[in-house]
Amino acid sequence: MARLTLSGLTKSFGGLDVVKAVDLEVTDGELVCLLGPSGSGKSTILRMIGGFEVPSGGAIRIDGEDVTAVPPERRPTGMVFQSHALWSHMDVFANIAFGLKLRHLSRAEIRSKVEAVLELVGLAGYGSRRVWQLSGGQQQRVAIARSLVLEPKILLLDEPFASLDQHLRERLREEVRDIQQRLGITTLFVTHGQDEALALADRIVVLKDGAIEQTDRPSALYRRPATRFVAGFIGHMNLVPTAFQAGRSTRPEFALAVEVSDGPAEIAFRPEATGVRPAQGAGHALVYRVTDFGTHLTLDLDLEDGTRIKAHGAGSIAWAPGQRVEVTPAEVLLYRDGVLLSTEPRTAAAAA
Amino acid sequence: MTDAVTTAPVRMSIQRRGLTGLLLVLFPVGLLGWLILYPILNALVTTLTLRTDQGLVLSLDSYASFFSDPYSLNNLALTFWTTAVCAVLLLVICLPIALYLRFSRGPLSAYVQALAIFPLFVPSVILAYALIRTLGPNGLVDILLNAAGLPKLPSPYLTPWGPVIGLVWDNIPLTVLMLTAGLGQVSDNAVEAARDAGARPRHLLLHIILPQIINALLVALAFAVLGIFSSFTLPYVLGPASPEMMGPYMQRTFADLMQPRMAITQAVITFAICAVFGAFYVRSVIRSREVR
Amino acid sequence: MQPQPASRPRPHTDWTGIGFAVLLSIVILVPLIVVAIWAFTEVWRYPALLPQSFGLRYWQATLSRQDVWNALFLSLRLSATVTFLSALICLPAAYAFARMDFPGRQTLLLSFLATQAFPKFGLLIAVAGIFLSLGLIATFWGVVLIQLVNTLMLMIWVPVAAFQAVDRRMEEAARDAGAGPLRVFWSITLPQAGSTLFAAVLLTFINTFYETEGAWLIGAPMLQTMPVLMIIFINNQMVIQYGAVLSVLLWVPSFLVLLFSRRLIGSQSFAKGFGV
Repeated sequence: MARLTLSGLTKSFGGLDVVKAVDLEVTDGELVCLLGPSGSGKSTILRMIGGFEVPSGGAIRIDGEDVTAVPPERRPTGMVFQSHALWSHMDVFANIAFGLKLRHLSRAEIRSKVEAVLELVGLAGYGSRRVWQLSGGQQQRVAIARSLVLEPKILLLDEPFASLDQHLRERLREEVRDIQQRLGITTLFVTHGQDEALALADRIVVLKDGAIEQTDRPSALYRRPATRFVAGFIGHMNLVPTAFQAGRSTRPEFALAVEVSDGPAEIAFRPEATGVRPAQGAGHALVYRVTDFGTHLTLDLDLEDGTRIKAHGAGSIAWAPGQRVEVTPAEVLLYRDGVLLSTEPRTAAAAA
Repeated sequence: MTDAVTTAPVRMSIQRRGLTGLLLVLFPVGLLGWLILYPILNALVTTLTLRTDQGLVLSLDSYASFFSDPYSLNNLALTFWTTAVCAVLLLVICLPIALYLRFSRGPLSAYVQALAIFPLFVPSVILAYALIRTLGPNGLVDILLNAAGLPKLPSPYLTPWGPVIGLVWDNIPLTVLMLTAGLGQVSDNAVEAARDAGARPRHLLLHIILPQIINALLVALAFAVLGIFSSFTLPYVLGPASPEMMGPYMQRTFADLMQPRMAITQAVITFAICAVFGAFYVRSVIRSREVR
Repeated sequence: MQPQPASRPRPHTDWTGIGFAVLLSIVILVPLIVVAIWAFTEVWRYPALLPQSFGLRYWQATLSRQDVWNALFLSLRLSATVTFLSALICLPAAYAFARMDFPGRQTLLLSFLATQAFPKFGLLIAVAGIFLSLGLIATFWGVVLIQLVNTLMLMIWVPVAAFQAVDRRMEEAARDAGAGPLRVFWSITLPQAGSTLFAAVLLTFINTFYETEGAWLIGAPMLQTMPVLMIIFINNQMVIQYGAVLSVLLWVPSFLVLLFSRRLIGSQSFAKGFGV
């Protein structure tokens, strides 16, 4: 049960700022995902919390106690590595028992704790296996068990499922979520997969170039991405450049009325919120490609000026490349200079 | 992201760790200085100066006497000849073996590899003894020829060919290992793509494989040359008494003739001749480490 | 396009492989087999194809020679001393090279290449020149020191590669579990690098045991190690079987290395140690 506070956390390698003054508060029992592309500094933040990197500036507090200068072995954190980092010269039991032995627990205590945690991760009876006899998923479970058995205040997971295949990844992340909620352990999870973040997190922190781009609940993050970067990083977002004059979009096909100052902006809408129907007349887009994903149809559409957008099409219609269509976006957002404009746009029709 | 991470380990105090590190490497580095660097510098100073009444003076007398002595020059020539013949033979023998090991997956390749590496575990004294018993007078080859009713062949024992056979035998493993390591960097895809484009085996070798392993090839040869040029045991046991290779010559000058200054002069001359190979070897090792 | 060049294994007979296997078997194995036969031969007069009588007489004769036992004990003592010293000196340094950051790290590590970049025997002569003025010629410690010239590079570079091959995350996971730096080294790093380190130590021992040139130059004829004794036997044309018995006898430790260090030799890291 713990609360993690990062304030002004900064890290630079050789003059290059990898993490730039990050502030973050993770409350008791919360699972927060750090999401970002490669090089966004997310792993570095996690490693600073674990004690494996010394911050260039700022502070890390756990339950109000400053641990910034505490070496990893004396921090109440438990880290699960992407490469699982199991000790291949020990069996499963010895891997999990290692930290307990360092704490001078009795053998009976160690045994019962290890067995309990193996049970928790669904590997009861695997104690005497060698690490290399396990599958990738089992190895990662052992790694999680190894961290959990020490009852850390903060659990840190560094892309733990990145090397597993899709199905296993989905199953394991559900299990991790279950365990985390059962134990109520404060958890920080680093990933570059938006699915993983959306599926797991209470809150998501989107990072770009070492700085926080947006922090919010998954649903809010998806519905109202604060920046163009977040919009493009989580799910697909159609972005259509336009300009506004006297509160009206200069693109005839997306005639929006909104109270903004004149100037260029981008109209943004999700593929699943994009209505498409075969054009009665000339229409304003051309079907370029039709892709059937089973659950839905995705249409790649070319607008008049060549901008390509995606839309979900009704399965009942026989779409074909070259077909002319009309597009009616809904839940439209506006970005100017990469930042979300807070004013709600209305379609011209609604405004009229 | 990970690339940024791996460069920095946990650092409690960079300066303190730096000092500890230096202290830990101090001993072997000191030993290196005392056992390698200092003797080499000392050898240069000893052979280039002469102690006279006026103190030390610069003098090339020992080099002059080496290069004006026909016996010394003959020994040097024999050493050149042996090294060159060995290098060519090693290349001709080891490249095909390495190519076979790289591109074969058959059960025999494990056996061939084991055999090719085997000499690494045969000490050169035992090898020398074995070769005498096999190729020497009344050795196995003589016995077999006699049994087949064929005339005796001249034995290579105590001729310049004796050391050549022994040195090639001895150097096969490392040359094969280095070449296979080099060939390991030629990707299957590169070979298959070339084959797909219509390359015959000869073209494959010349245009795809050789250009990629040329560095490994040269390093392997440089390494072999460094070893062979100043080899001692095999030429001492298998070679002729006169002319002799530089290894036995230096040893004899040092221990039997008790002329350490002349022996060191001969050593410096071998250094100078092998400097190109040594420099090439060091350069390519450094380069391959930088790439990594 | 049919994939059919000669270097590829075909579905049918691997003639190239058979050719290499037969040739190498003859060239590599036959001389050694001849020695093995001689070791168990009592009489083998030319030009008989096989010895006239086999027996263990010369084993007894060889093993009852005091100089053989002296040489064996000297060689074992020498190898043990050299291996212990070089492990003591080199292994901590190798760890420092692999894991610590200090000024000149890369340059100092590369400087060990110097032992390989000079023609070996010339280097030994230069070292012997120094030992001459220090009175180390024909002394046990003189031979020990000259062996260190041979073992330095092996005992630095191979262990450095071994330590570098240990996944840093494993060490970090151990720190995370509460182990201090020394405990991490002892419980994680050392066991992980163990097999390669062991192979390096073993190779050092064996290399020293069989080293002939330095031992001959510095030690002979006062200090007779096993290889030096072999050369004396060969030169003096003593009973042929003595050499054969000694060869077979010396072969035992060598064969053990063959078995133990296969992992190290087979891996490409070994060749990398020589710069490929």
